[in-house]
Amino acid sequence: MPTARSRILAAGALLLAAAMAVAAQSSDPYQQAQDFEQHERYPEAAAAYREAIRLSPGSLPAILGLERVYAQLGWTDSMLPVLDSAIAVEPRSAALRAAQLRTLRTLGDRAKAREAFDRWRHDVPHDPQAYREYARMLIADGETAAADTVLRLAQSEVGTGRGFEYELAQLRAALGLWELSAQSWRQAVADNGYLDQAATFSLMPTPVEMRPGVRRTLAAPPAQASARRVLASLELAWGDARAGWDALRVLPPDTAAIASWLDFARRAEEANAWLPARDALVAVEAQHRSADVAARAAGDALRGGDAASAIALSTGAEARLDSGAAASAVLPVHVAALAEAARPADAERLLQSYQRFLSTEQKQYMQQVIARGWIRAGNLQRARALLAQAGDSASGEASGWLALFDGDLATARRRLKPTDRSPLEMLSAVALLGRTKADKSPAAGAAFLALVRGDSARAGEEFEAAATQLPEAEPLLLSLAARLETTHGNATHAMMLWRKVVERSPESPEAPEADLEWARALRRLGDAPNAVDRLEHLILTYPQSALVPQARRELDLARQAVPSATP
Amino acid sequence: MHLSRFAATALLSVLPALARAQHLLVPMDDEQTNHLKAYGLTYNALKDGGKGEWLLNYRGGSFLLPDTPELRRRAGLDGVMVQVTDDAALASIRSEMANGNMEAVPLEKAPRVAIYTAPYSPPWDDAVTLALRYAGIPYTPVWDDDVERGDLSKYDWLHLFHEDFTGQLSKFYIAYRGAPWFIEQQQKQLETAHRLGFANIPALKKDVAERVRQYVENGGFLFAMCGATETLELAIAGRDVDIANIYADGTPMDPDADAKMNWARAFAFRDVHLEMSPYVNSMSDIDGHQANVPGRRQPLGTFTLFNFSAKFDPVPSMLVQDHRSVIPDYYGVTTSFMRRTLKPGVTILAEEPGAPWVKYIHGDYGKGSWTFLGGHDPEDPQHAIGNPPTDLSLHVSSPGYRLILNNVLFPAAKKKPLKT
Repeated sequence: MPTARSRILAAGALLLAAAMAVAAQSSDPYQQAQDFEQHERYPEAAAAYREAIRLSPGSLPAILGLERVYAQLGWTDSMLPVLDSAIAVEPRSAALRAAQLRTLRTLGDRAKAREAFDRWRHDVPHDPQAYREYARMLIADGETAAADTVLRLAQSEVGTGRGFEYELAQLRAALGLWELSAQSWRQAVADNGYLDQAATFSLMPTPVEMRPGVRRTLAAPPAQASARRVLASLELAWGDARAGWDALRVLPPDTAAIASWLDFARRAEEANAWLPARDALVAVEAQHRSADVAARAAGDALRGGDAASAIALSTGAEARLDSGAAASAVLPVHVAALAEAARPADAERLLQSYQRFLSTEQKQYMQQVIARGWIRAGNLQRARALLAQAGDSASGEASGWLALFDGDLATARRRLKPTDRSPLEMLSAVALLGRTKADKSPAAGAAFLALVRGDSARAGEEFEAAATQLPEAEPLLLSLAARLETTHGNATHAMMLWRKVVERSPESPEAPEADLEWARALRRLGDAPNAVDRLEHLILTYPQSALVPQARRELDLARQAVPSATP
Repeated sequence: MHLSRFAATALLSVLPALARAQHLLVPMDDEQTNHLKAYGLTYNALKDGGKGEWLLNYRGGSFLLPDTPELRRRAGLDGVMVQVTDDAALASIRSEMANGNMEAVPLEKAPRVAIYTAPYSPPWDDAVTLALRYAGIPYTPVWDDDVERGDLSKYDWLHLFHEDFTGQLSKFYIAYRGAPWFIEQQQKQLETAHRLGFANIPALKKDVAERVRQYVENGGFLFAMCGATETLELAIAGRDVDIANIYADGTPMDPDADAKMNWARAFAFRDVHLEMSPYVNSMSDIDGHQANVPGRRQPLGTFTLFNFSAKFDPVPSMLVQDHRSVIPDYYGVTTSFMRRTLKPGVTILAEEPGAPWVKYIHGDYGKGSWTFLGGHDPEDPQHAIGNPPTDLSLHVSSPGYRLILNNVLFPAAKKKPLKT
């Protein structure tokens, strides 16, 4: 047990150490300056940096520190004499020269900035950095003509255009010379791969009409990984992930290409472009057999709606994993894919084979998933039985759906609860259950069952039939039917349904949408005058509707008051 | 007595209604939700026989229109914000205007608008036709045949855009001589020239320019933008001088062209130096920015609208009505006008402070007047061939486009004699 004496000694040692540290700190003005700066004591920091510079006139860290601190104090003009003195000591220092240009730019003194650039060129002939820094400054200020002149000067005085591709690329993009900019970027990223993000950002605003030229340039042979990465990023940004993958898949499968594919997969997943992401992961997996990558690809395939591919990938991944790992990493996707593919029996067998590796919760979750598969396959009895095994008979979402399919609206109303990520069918079902107080509707149940089974034609018919059973929900049900008819290309029937909504339920929340969709259908059929009438009706009858801005835009298009929409 | 009692009763029954008489105020400040369509609303109100007023400098240059169901309907459809204003509120507005630099100018008749544009040009290629289509203001396209036939006299207002009246097809020959669209354009214009009895395109365009000059001299209103401003003037002043390069008319330019130009005939410029080189994509030193000449191209800045006395200078006041006074600049074949080339008496409506050029000018000529605005498209500052057309539904409050539409409405104003 420590004695009082030992405690005193320990405290004394600590105090001594602290004092020594303070003493050490206070003797080094640069360290002091950094401390002051960190604590936002800028006047003290400035004084300390100045002292550091006095002791070591060419000290770049101290000069840059002083620049930062002066900026905080609004004393940027005070940097100029400091920089002049430092440059006199270190005339070849590109960092000091760049700081001088930066300072003059901040002060808005274009003439002096030009003089500083000219002095740099004179004092350090053939230094490309001078031209680079000044050109970048001009481009950032939108002075593209002046930047162009500087880069031409660089080419004539430094002797080569190489080394300025970055600046040229930026300049050309600023001038709207997109294809030329892409050429420069191609060269720039070939020499400096880390510039690919800058290239993407610079070329992203390319107008749609100019994009083919940019694509041609970046994809031109020989296939260059860095240029293709840029192209892939651009295509993702422009909303075409498939084209992005096409840009990358032709790369020879070396380490750099695989890294690019993995990175693309990640970004495509972030953009919810699941199938291109899957394809990228499949390509990776073909080179480096990895169950994890295969499992991830299977998940992307399922999210992208390709159940068959998800099944194949899952099977392959499971073959390479032990059962325990497969149960957690791959099985949920495999089971869901089988259910999605209307193969619930296979899903049940698969689940059965892994059940000793699963917790109760995992098993119940997958049983619910399989139950939905049985519903899709049309076997509601089997679905109910499975749910009963899963302990879902009383309260789960799946049982709510089963009740709805039976036309038991009362039970469905109690059990179906939407979440933030509910699919459209859920939202439509809950909307219906909220609009009607009826306890039963066989037609509504049949409609939703047909929808889940993918029989949208039947679903449309049943929604129409349900509208007669549930008059208070008629506009909602007719709208659902009309949307389905539209996706099938049955414009005439869809228009008839939209018309019913507008004419029979003008006060309903669906009426503005019905007017808008009716107008769109008329425009698609080439009947602009009637489309105009519908749009005018919408705007004038429902002035507070959130659809009015869209309707005005469509009115402008119908009247040819604006150019046709481009993607 | 019975009659007078009846008359009194009738009068008393009408008076409250008169006191409640309503107008539609169309504010043009930041409260307006669609400035561009507001011009269309006003124009079409006049076209339908209504009368209105332009309240210069009041809330950004507002319009006062009669309160009719049809106008309310149109305003609702177009998303134009209108405020129902009764006589009492209007009296208050007029009082405020009387005490400030504001003036109400009656708007009487919708002008008949003609746009000089090639039949093969899409409407989206011209900022003015873009503005007119978006605002719902009707216009008639006219071309060389119509001009030569004398049809300009049918219109109150004529717009020229980037047509090259020197007949050199904007010197596109330099960069696009092999492009199919250029070849086609050249062929069509040559056919027209021959059909109308001219040896070549420059001869045709010069004659068209002369007819435009006469149109203004006889009372027409002219609004020109972009390259038409500069080339029209060159064609008018150079009527008897060969100012076209060899690829346009088979002969080189007259080496003494500068000295032979007759600037007394022109609207706005004088003492201009023509660009003699066929390889330089510039017409003269009128243009301050020289956007298409590498090495001469000047960066874009902003331009500032001048503030005029609405009571004493209603015409320039009308032309600069806007809810912004500083507007970002935009390139064109002719972007700006060098000050030193302006004739005395030209009214400068907008300039870039500190720059040797101005952006927007106006003047009278004979019985008519002209306005020139530099640049191609106020919402496409770096416009290049092949760029997508501007969608004005995305720029409903464009201060640059308001300048164009001011010019469309200005001929509708009943002008009082200047008090100076």
